[in-house]
Amino acid sequence: MTLSTDLEGELLRARIVSVVIVTAFLFLVAALWRVQVRDVSAYRSNVEKQSIRRVRLPGTRGMILDRNGVCLADNRPSYCIAIYMEELWQAGPLKNTIKEIERIIDSLSGILDLEKVVSRDDIINHLNRRRSLPFLAWSDVDDGVIARWAESGVNLPGVDIYVEPVRMYPQGELAGHVLGYVARAELDKSIEESYDFYLPEVAGAYGLEMALNDLLKGVPGGRLMRVNVIGLKHKDEGTLLPASGTDVVLTLDSRIQQLVEDALAGQKGACVVIDPRNGDILSMASSPSFDSNSFMPTLSRSEWERLSTAEDKPLFNRAIAGVYPPGSVFKPVVAIASLENKVASENTSFNCVGFFQLGDVRFHCWRTRGHGIIGLKKALEQSCNSYFCQLGLLCGYDRIFNMARALGFGWKTGIELEGESDGLLPDGEWNRRNIGVGWRKGDTCNVSIGQGALAATPLQMAVFAATIANGGYLYRPRLLARKVNRGTQGLKENREGHERRRMYGMSEGDLVRAMEWSRETVRIVKEGMYDVIQADNGTGKRAHVSGLEMGGKTGTSQYGLLSEGKKHGWMIVFAPFDEPRYAIAMVIEDAVSGGVTVAPRIKTLMEGILEIENTGIN
Amino acid sequence: MLKDLFKDIRLLKRMNWPVTAAVALLMMIGVVFIYSSCFVSQEQPVRMLWVKQIVWGVVGIICYVLFSLYDYRRLSRISLWLYMASICLLVLVLFTGVKIYGARRWLRLYGTLGIQPSELSKLSTLIMLAVLMSRPGVKLWQMREVGIILLIVIIPLVLILKEPDLGTGMILLPVAFAMMFVAGVPFRIIGVLAAAGLLLVMLILGAVLLPERLGVGEVGQTRILRLVGLKDYHKVRIEAFFQPEKDPLGAGWSKMQSEIAVGSGGPWGKGFNRGTQKMLGFLPRSVAPTDFIYSVIAEEEGFFGSVVALLLFGIILVGGIHTAIVAEDRMGRLLCIGVVAMIFCHVFINIAMTIGLLPITGLPLPLLSYGGSFMITTMSGLGIVQSVHMHSYPLVQSLRYSRKAGW
Repeated sequence: MTLSTDLEGELLRARIVSVVIVTAFLFLVAALWRVQVRDVSAYRSNVEKQSIRRVRLPGTRGMILDRNGVCLADNRPSYCIAIYMEELWQAGPLKNTIKEIERIIDSLSGILDLEKVVSRDDIINHLNRRRSLPFLAWSDVDDGVIARWAESGVNLPGVDIYVEPVRMYPQGELAGHVLGYVARAELDKSIEESYDFYLPEVAGAYGLEMALNDLLKGVPGGRLMRVNVIGLKHKDEGTLLPASGTDVVLTLDSRIQQLVEDALAGQKGACVVIDPRNGDILSMASSPSFDSNSFMPTLSRSEWERLSTAEDKPLFNRAIAGVYPPGSVFKPVVAIASLENKVASENTSFNCVGFFQLGDVRFHCWRTRGHGIIGLKKALEQSCNSYFCQLGLLCGYDRIFNMARALGFGWKTGIELEGESDGLLPDGEWNRRNIGVGWRKGDTCNVSIGQGALAATPLQMAVFAATIANGGYLYRPRLLARKVNRGTQGLKENREGHERRRMYGMSEGDLVRAMEWSRETVRIVKEGMYDVIQADNGTGKRAHVSGLEMGGKTGTSQYGLLSEGKKHGWMIVFAPFDEPRYAIAMVIEDAVSGGVTVAPRIKTLMEGILEIENTGIN
Repeated sequence: MLKDLFKDIRLLKRMNWPVTAAVALLMMIGVVFIYSSCFVSQEQPVRMLWVKQIVWGVVGIICYVLFSLYDYRRLSRISLWLYMASICLLVLVLFTGVKIYGARRWLRLYGTLGIQPSELSKLSTLIMLAVLMSRPGVKLWQMREVGIILLIVIIPLVLILKEPDLGTGMILLPVAFAMMFVAGVPFRIIGVLAAAGLLLVMLILGAVLLPERLGVGEVGQTRILRLVGLKDYHKVRIEAFFQPEKDPLGAGWSKMQSEIAVGSGGPWGKGFNRGTQKMLGFLPRSVAPTDFIYSVIAEEEGFFGSVVALLLFGIILVGGIHTAIVAEDRMGRLLCIGVVAMIFCHVFINIAMTIGLLPITGLPLPLLSYGGSFMITTMSGLGIVQSVHMHSYPLVQSLRYSRKAGW
C-alpha cells in the first residue's frame, strides 16, 4: 500500500462520511416537513382543542388479615372532585391560571352545593409542587354530591371525579397498636418532584402499617388520555397498570385479641400472648388504645391533640415500648441461673423472717411474719423475697446477668414493629455510669427480686414465659405469618388454603437460642410455677381455671418514690401445663398486686381461650 | 506555550470563517431560546439561566480560540496525559460525584458549579484515538492494534455506563467507529466488530425483550437473564429505554408533548416567546432548556426556524469534513472526523427524539442546549478542527505536488 493510495482511500472515506451526514440531515428535514407542514392541522388542533390528561390510577394497599383470614385492614373507595391544573393553564403570569382555577372551583361549589374547602394558598402550593397531579378540591364527598354531579353533567374543563382508596379497619379499635395507621407522605421539597407523576400513596406511619410498608404499599399507575375542552375523554394514549400491595397474614388471632383487649379495658397496661412452640404472637394489646380509622382520611387537629397529649398516652404501645420493673416475675431467672450453675438444688433452703438484712439495708418480704425455712419450689410459689435475696447472693450476679441476658433481657426481641424498647439489665458498668458507684451486693438483691434498675417490656416477659414453657427455646416473637401476593393467587383461594393450616404452632419458628437447660432445672422451675396457680394458697391462685392446669408467676413491682407506694401488677402464665400452647405476660399499671389485680383477668382470658378452642377449630 | 500562541495569532486569518459564523449564530440562538423556554418559570434562578449560558458561551469561545491557535500536532504529546486525567476524573465521580436523579455524573467544583467528567472524556478519548491511529508505521490491519484501540474506547465507556449515563457513553461507539473507518481499518475487521457489537446488543435485547413476548414465565425470564449475565434492574432500564410505552406517564408524556409542540409550530412558527404549548407547563425544568430546546425553537419559529438551525449544523459538519479532507496529516483528519461524528450523533439523536422518531434518551443538542461541560467539550472540539484547518494551508499545494511527483 503506497502513501498516495492510502491518502486517496482516506479522503474517499471522509467523503463517504460526509454523504452519510448530509443524507441523515435530509431525512430530518423530511421528517420535520411531515410534522410541521404536512400534518400541521392535526397538531394545531391538538393544542387548541385537546390536551393530554394524566390520570392517576392508585395502587391499592395490601390487606392485613389475622391468622384465620379475618380482615383487620382493608380499603374502601372514596370519591373526590379533582382539578387537572395543566388543562387550565392560561397565558401570561401565573396569577391568570390561579384565577381560572378559582373560577372553576367556585362554579363547582355552586353546582354541587359544596362549601369551598381549599384556599388560594393550597392552589398555589399545588401548582408549584404537584402540578402534574390532580388537585383534589373536595375529598371523600358523599353520594348526594356524586348524584348531583351526574345530574348536572358538569360541563367544566379540567374537572373530573377521582376515586381514591381509603384505608379502613373493619374491626375498629381492635389491635390498633399492632396495626398502626397510615398517613399521606409529605413531599420532598425538591422542585423536580412537582413533575414526577409517580408519587407515593399513603404510607404507613405507625405499627405494622409502617413496619411492613414496603410489602403493603401499592404502586400507582396512570393513564394518558386525550380530552377536549369540556373534558370529554376520547382517546387512550397509554396505560400503566397500578400494582396492588401484598396482602399479609398475621399470627394474631382476632378472637384472642378481643379477649385480651376486654381484659385490659379501662386499665393502663399491656398484654402479650405468644405461642411458645414457635414465637407466633397470638395477641398483643396495649391499653388505652385508639381507633386506626380515626386517622383516615385525615386526623382532625383536635383529635390529634387529644391522642398525643392525653395523660394515659393512648398512642404509646406499652407492649413493646413500655418498660416496667418486672418484680417477682423475674425470680424464675434467678432460680434457673442457680440451678443451671449447680449453685443450688431443689433442696436449697433459706430462712425467711419477713425480711432480709444486708448491712443496714432491709429487703422486706411481702409476708411480714416470714415464711420460715422454705425450699426453692415453695419460695417460687410463695414469691418469697428473703429467699431470693439470699439465693441471688449465693449465685452471684454474673451468673444471673448472663442467664437474664441469654433470655433476652436488656435487648430488643426483634419483633417486626418499630419503636421497641431494650428494657434495662443493669451491670457494674451501668451502675458506674449512672449512679457513680460500682456493683454492690444490695444491687444483686434488688435485681434478684426484680427491682432496682431492672426493667423489661411486656413482650420480653412474654418471650421469657414462652421460653420456660417450651423448656428452653427462645424464639423471636413474630407478627407476620405469611405474605399473599394477590397477583399470583386469588385471595379467596388463599384464605381457603389457610383454612386447612390454621392450627397453631404448625409453622416453624425463628429459633434465636436453645438454652440447653437440664431437664431437672426445667422441671423444678415449672413445678414451682405450677404451684403458684394450682396450689391452694399460691400467689396466683386467682388465675386458676377449672379443668385447665397452668403454670405462672405473679409480680408486684414498686415504682416511683417508696413513700408513694405505687405498684405495677404483673403476671406471666403458660398453659396447658403439660404441653403449653399459650404463654402470656400481662402488666397492669397502678395495681394492688399481681395476684389480686392481674390474676383474675388472666382467668377470664384463659376461660375465653378455652371456649374458643372448644367451639373452634383446634 | 502562551508565547507561542500569541506569536501565531496571525493564523486566525486562515480560520474557516463560515463555520465560525455558524457556531456563533447557533450559540446566540441557544441563549435566546433558553431565555424563551425559561420565561414562564416561577423561579428566579431558572429565569436567569440564559445569563449563565452567556457565561458558558464566553468560556466556550475562549476554549475555541485557544484550541484553534494551539497547533493540534502538539496534542500527540499530551494526549496520553489528557486521557489518563479524564479516566481519573471518571473514577473520582463514581465515588465523590453528586447524585442527581439517581445518577452520579457531576463533580462539584465550587458551590453549585460542577463539571461532568463524562463530557470531557469524550474529547480526550477522541484525541487519544486520533493520535494512536496516526502513529508512523501503525498497522491498522493487525488485530493487536485494533485491540488497543478498542481498549481505549471501552475503559471510559464502562466507567460512564457505571454512572450511569447511557446516552453519553454510547456516543463513544459511533465516534470511534467513524474514526476507524476513515483511518483505514480494513473492512473485514470493521465488519467483524460491527457484527460482534450488533450481536451482543441483540443478545442482550433479545434476552430482555423476547422471552416476555414469547410467553416465557417469570422464572424462565429470570433464568435467561442470568444466562446472559444481567440483573433484574438492567432489564427494567433497558425496557424503559426501548419501550417507552411502558412508561406512558413519564417518557411517553414528554415525547407526546414535544411532538405536539413541534407540529403546532407549523411552517412559520408562532413567534418568539409565544409558544402556547408553554413548555414549562408540561416539561420538567431540567429538560426544557436542555434536551428539549429544539422543540421550543420548532414551536416558536416553525419549519423555517428548525431548518435554519439544522442548516447551521450542516455548515459546521460539512465544514469539518472539508477540513478533514484538506488536513495536512492523518492525525488532523482523524481529529476532524471524530469531532464531526460526535456533534453529528448528538444533533441527529436529539432532533429525532424531539420529533418522536427515537425514544427519549436525554442527549443535549450541541451549542443550543443549556449546559457548561458540554459547551466546553463542543467548543474545544470545534477549536481543534479550526486548528487543523489553520495549520493545513500549505497542504493543498503539496498534495498537488506530490501527485505530480508520482509518490
